[in-house]
Amino acid sequence: MIENQAREDIAFIRRAIEEGGAYATASSPDMLVWGIAVAIGYLGTYGFIRGWSPVSPGALWAACLGLPWLFSLRRVARGLTGREVPAHGPMAHALAMLWFACGVFLTTLVIAAMVTGEARNGWCNAVVAGVMGIAFFAGSWLARLAWLRWVWIAWWVGELALFALRHQVEVLPLSAALMLLLLAGPGYVLMSGRARRAKA
Amino acid sequence: MTDFDHAAIDEILHSRVRLAIVAFLAGARSADFAAVRDATKTTDGNASVHLRRLEDAGYIAMRKRFVARKPQTLYSLTERGRRALLDYVAHLETLLPPADAEAGRDGNR
Repeated sequence: MIENQAREDIAFIRRAIEEGGAYATASSPDMLVWGIAVAIGYLGTYGFIRGWSPVSPGALWAACLGLPWLFSLRRVARGLTGREVPAHGPMAHALAMLWFACGVFLTTLVIAAMVTGEARNGWCNAVVAGVMGIAFFAGSWLARLAWLRWVWIAWWVGELALFALRHQVEVLPLSAALMLLLLAGPGYVLMSGRARRAKA
Repeated sequence: MTDFDHAAIDEILHSRVRLAIVAFLAGARSADFAAVRDATKTTDGNASVHLRRLEDAGYIAMRKRFVARKPQTLYSLTERGRRALLDYVAHLETLLPPADAEAGRDGNR
């Protein structure tokens, strides 16, 4: 009897720690930073092609991918400098690792596509949207945020639109719009959730 | 018979709401009042009382800041609170058979 109570109490503590981890992960500013940075990359590339911007896409993308990576890896840097890095529960850790894996895959894919010239064929943007849909699909379950399911559905609809437009330059502003609406947007909503709850 | 010591149980964490607050903050690093209240499924008044008790015991730290000109109260777990939670879990584990306690420790890592 006492053993069962102790097991229940330990399970209760573990669930509460998980909830705290999910709350912290969902409130992270990374999505907002990445959404804005990648949208700037797309819009800058569009501007260069149209002749509105003198900044070459190579240099622009180096900054638009490099700076968000530095931001996202700040926790690792904190650990390397000897400062305490708070440990998260397995669920929050899984969520962070999911985004990390997607980030590594998309960054290497985009760099490879740019180096080989495949980026001009336009399919890359649809793949990016598809992977974002997968990340939000898994993230909505891991973070227990039901409304995020609309985001992954929108990403996959966007993927089809980007594939249909792959040979047109307008695929770039559409990609930028998706990044702002479906990555920076949810990031902003999640971050501002703290302030909204505080007001309630 | 286990080596469980009733006298060593932390009275402050023996409340379900306070235990939930401390465990939530252990995972969240820091959280605002509303997030703590929602996570522990309690009322404003009840959450305030328990948070004050934990603050008085030195288990949590409170700081205020302004977000969009609105005051916001943030709570975080102190080192003393983290240690108290670990000790509390260790005490609970003394009630379990050795294999279960080992599994529990693995899960908490």
